[in-house]
Amino acid sequence: MSEPRKLTEKEKKAMYRRWIFTAGLGYNYETQQAPSVAFSMAKALRKIYPNDDDYIKAMDNHYKYFNITPQMGNVILGATLAMEEKDGIKAYDAVQNLKTSLMGPLSGVGDSVFWILFPTIMGSIAGYMALQGNPIGAIIWIAMYVALYFVKMWLFKLGYTSGVRLITTLGERINIFTDAVSAMGLMVVGTLIATVVKVYTPLTFITGKVKLSVQTGIFDKIMPGLLPVGLAILVYWLLGKKSWSPSKIILLIIVISLAGAATGILGITPTK
Amino acid sequence: MPIVLQNILIILLAAEMAWDTGSGGQIFNNWPVTIGLVMGIIMGDTQTALIVAGTLQLMSLGVAGIGGSSVPEYGLATIVSVYLAISTGANTGTAVAVGLPVGMLTLQLDVIVKFINNFFAHLSQRYLHEKKFEKMQWSFIASVLVWTLKYVIPVAVVITFGPSIVKVILKVIPQWFTDGLTIAGGMLPVVGVGMLMRFMPTKKYLTFLIVGFVFSAYLQLPILGIALLGAAAAYFLYQTRVKNLSQVQTAGTSNTNQGDDYDE
Repeated sequence: MSEPRKLTEKEKKAMYRRWIFTAGLGYNYETQQAPSVAFSMAKALRKIYPNDDDYIKAMDNHYKYFNITPQMGNVILGATLAMEEKDGIKAYDAVQNLKTSLMGPLSGVGDSVFWILFPTIMGSIAGYMALQGNPIGAIIWIAMYVALYFVKMWLFKLGYTSGVRLITTLGERINIFTDAVSAMGLMVVGTLIATVVKVYTPLTFITGKVKLSVQTGIFDKIMPGLLPVGLAILVYWLLGKKSWSPSKIILLIIVISLAGAATGILGITPTK
Repeated sequence: MPIVLQNILIILLAAEMAWDTGSGGQIFNNWPVTIGLVMGIIMGDTQTALIVAGTLQLMSLGVAGIGGSSVPEYGLATIVSVYLAISTGANTGTAVAVGLPVGMLTLQLDVIVKFINNFFAHLSQRYLHEKKFEKMQWSFIASVLVWTLKYVIPVAVVITFGPSIVKVILKVIPQWFTDGLTIAGGMLPVVGVGMLMRFMPTKKYLTFLIVGFVFSAYLQLPILGIALLGAAAAYFLYQTRVKNLSQVQTAGTSNTNQGDDYDE
């Protein structure tokens, strides 16, 4: 068995880029992101293992099931690369163990930060501006995505240099970070209910000479955004207790809207 | 811009979006406002594009975040809706009402693509064992091309047949129906809100939800201002809890430095 060879800084970066630009592509039901991992590692491992048999064995490791938030995959692949570079094929089992044990916790953090909190906060700001025909929110968002490239590179280096230790020492801090940002996210969600969800009824009661608009005369007096809040609670309940799928709820809302429009119970929200 | 060039650019945008979102977000991802802005530039009407995209963005909040469950492809719905709104003059409600189902149907293509890629994953591994290392890499790139088809195919179909179909639809549908769709457009963002509330620690941080609501509903503070207040709250929470954490750690016996072989 030949000794593993070290990668140059340039070769490491090439491997990182392969993952950054292909993570999650070639996704399949059996091994999920594994083809992307194998593709990312293919060239770097060839350098580490000049011997064909070692190379094939090491590569096989990366054709096994892998699924993670793409951004957080950087940490794992960085650590994996460091291990293989150091111990070569002896690290075979350790590499697989590292990957399987870190996928879950890192995805938990990554999904909430990259797929829920970031899009919620940026999406509501950019979406709101776009409704007024203002592209600035969208442009800022694009700029942030481009800048994320450097964050991903940093996550790689973090994984490469600190490896497993990172998770034990930073683990709790990352959880606190996610938790704290969730508070910010929920504040934005509270805003969304009041501003973005629009339910309006044009109904009016007429008793003798007195006209009373149900919307401005009753609902708005109780609380601004009463109907949207009610609708949000209904959807929250349907998603949770009733475990309805989002698609089912979307269809329900379209049916309610059509029925409401036909009967005149619901109307288009007047612009202020 | 000549129509042919325009159509080519839209199809390229669909392919870009597939790559972008599949690899975890590089430039535009599949968010309605970012994709909508590009569509607006291609179609030469950013105003209409942004209004349609903004509507879809607010509908998609939270819904886009969840893998596995069947939620519409909002990015694709944006391409379709913006294209139809600008090319046929349909109003936002109608454009979205056509785009959204296309986004839902695309989910089926997603399933097929992931199925096909199973084949490429096996092929690639077989080439590895046959020591055909170049072919091993190319078979992965083939699967990436297949991956982009899930957006390219529906967009190509819509560009070819969409406008004429939508023009026919616009002539026959009654007023109450378009009104109903516009009303639905106003209500649909609630789905995203509901999903977000399910995924975030809503019960634990109900306070912040209420504070955000009050600032917005009663005080009419703009969303950016509330987001900044939220950032301040988050920073405060983080600091206090990290401080508590380090106190606990120094109090207890620390053995985190032992680690293992792969420390450095």
